[in-house]
Amino acid sequence: MINMSDEIKEKVPVFRSWNLWYAFVILFLVVLIILFTFFTNYFA
Amino acid sequence: MSQLDWIVLGVSLIGIVAYGLYKSKTTRDLDGYFLSNRTMPWYLVLLSIMGTQASAITFLSAPGQAYTDGMRFVQYYFGLPLAMVLLCITFVPIFHKLKVYTAYEYLENRFDVKTRTLTSFLFLLQRGLSTGISIYAPSIILSSLFGWNIFWTNIVMGGLLIIYTVSGGARAVAYTQQLQFVIIFVGMAVTAYMVVRLLPNGIDFIDTLKVSGRLGKLNVITTGNTDKGFNWNDRYNIWSGIIGGFFLALSYFGTDQSQVGRYLTAKSVSESRIGLLMNGLVKVPMQFLILLVGAMVFTFYQFNQAPLFFNQTQVAIVESSSYKDSLHIIQQRYSSLSAQKKKLVEQFVGDYKSGRNTDQPVTALKQVNKETEKLRSDFKNILEKEDVNGDSNDTNYIFLRFVVDYMPKGLVGLLIAVIFLASWGSIAAALNSLASTTVVDIHKKFVQLDCTEAQDYSISKWYTFAWGIFSIIIAQFAGNMGSLIEAVNVLGSLFYGVILGIFLVAFYMKSIRGNAVFISAILVEIIIILSFVWPWLTKKIPSVIDKMPSFIQHFMEGMANISFLWLNAIGAIGMIVMSFLLQLVLKKRTN
Repeated sequence: MINMSDEIKEKVPVFRSWNLWYAFVILFLVVLIILFTFFTNYFA
Repeated sequence: MSQLDWIVLGVSLIGIVAYGLYKSKTTRDLDGYFLSNRTMPWYLVLLSIMGTQASAITFLSAPGQAYTDGMRFVQYYFGLPLAMVLLCITFVPIFHKLKVYTAYEYLENRFDVKTRTLTSFLFLLQRGLSTGISIYAPSIILSSLFGWNIFWTNIVMGGLLIIYTVSGGARAVAYTQQLQFVIIFVGMAVTAYMVVRLLPNGIDFIDTLKVSGRLGKLNVITTGNTDKGFNWNDRYNIWSGIIGGFFLALSYFGTDQSQVGRYLTAKSVSESRIGLLMNGLVKVPMQFLILLVGAMVFTFYQFNQAPLFFNQTQVAIVESSSYKDSLHIIQQRYSSLSAQKKKLVEQFVGDYKSGRNTDQPVTALKQVNKETEKLRSDFKNILEKEDVNGDSNDTNYIFLRFVVDYMPKGLVGLLIAVIFLASWGSIAAALNSLASTTVVDIHKKFVQLDCTEAQDYSISKWYTFAWGIFSIIIAQFAGNMGSLIEAVNVLGSLFYGVILGIFLVAFYMKSIRGNAVFISAILVEIIIILSFVWPWLTKKIPSVIDKMPSFIQHFMEGMANISFLWLNAIGAIGMIVMSFLLQLVLKKRTN
């Protein structure tokens, strides 16, 4: 059975680690939801 | 359509087929045919993932959805970026490390052959049927709008792409999707620009937003809360989007071979991950923009009279029925209300621009819109009468009707090409994945165990061709399915939860073995399908249902009242719980 902790060593583009990439994607979603909330309220 | 439209449409379609054939050169083995020798850079992976997900239905239904229900449909995609993150952490490195051709190969490594075969079968069943719908959905709309023969439209919609998909496999699919995406976005961007240009003088983009916003169409964020608490049957709100959408996206991108096969073509784990994460970044804004076009079309129809019903074929059916007089009364009243609507919206914009209070025209405008909606539902009621037996859902026709009625020559042809190309992108990837699963998980496992590379290549081509023909046949028999974007999503939700549950157990619950997972998958799938057909069963066989224990009846009634988006989460969680309990029972029996 494969071990998930066996991380494949490859250079991470743009950020220092994949965790930063993941945080960036989640943060981007949060920002979008906040902007969409303002958008909904502003034009309602 | 004008001659220029036909030329634009013809050149676009033939150009894509020729480009697909030009890019068909690949090694004559499974790695070359199904995974493009694992050489793709991240941006081709991204475009291929997006091109596979965004079918013609996306571009036809989404603007119509915004027109009728507002932009809240975008929330359905909120779970997608979160799913991309989890995929990159778990699924991608495992699939790459095992060098699998299909996601289901991993399940034999982790559990046993029967679990792998069952999961492949569920995928083939679901994807085979939904590919048929993906062909039929745009075909029926185009044939209805232009009076084309549905049989031949289905053949062109599902047939031409078979040429390059059979010939070039995954490589041809990825390269054509790249070009298709460029054409699709040029078409959509020009349309959005044209909508604003077609508005009366002095009405700009912000005014358009103000009108649709005050009329409730820019409801991007909704909570699903009502006076009676949270509405579980509400399809699109922030919670069903984040939670339900997360499970749906995780199932679709993590366990559906039509997507797994796209990111397995990447040249490294990093390229797969970047492709998926970029998809997580761009998908929500892209859907937002497509829906915004629909909201702008809604504003356009405040200044211009909208058709009473956007599918004119259905109007013609009523026109020739005994309800002709009722239709004329409805149409007269509708025209008079449309004229009122125009005056009120002009008053609203005038008041808003000069800083006056806009409450009065907005209230009146909302009232007129309510009355026009009432007339539309009166017309729909006529369509639903037994002696008319028409299709009362025109959501998918709204956008194309607008295009055909108001877009200039040439652009109509381009937008029809967009519909074909969007369709081809997802169908080509589906055929490629259906063939890879059939060859790798079924044929090479049970039919012909030892194949040479040349035989592998040859049977892969034949299976791709056979699935293409199968999908066209399904399309020819597909009937009336309401909103087609939902039909595909509902079909996916019936199977995805269980398939995802199998993979989640495989990844995260090391103590659970094959027998427990296999039995759980069958049981949970039966419950999910039963809950979906429960309202139909209670009507068709009430005597059988009444004899069932009351707790089962209550449970199934509760399940049947839940919106389809939650079925993914229920299926996956149900699989995890059921497998865990069964494993305990089986372990005890063994001891």
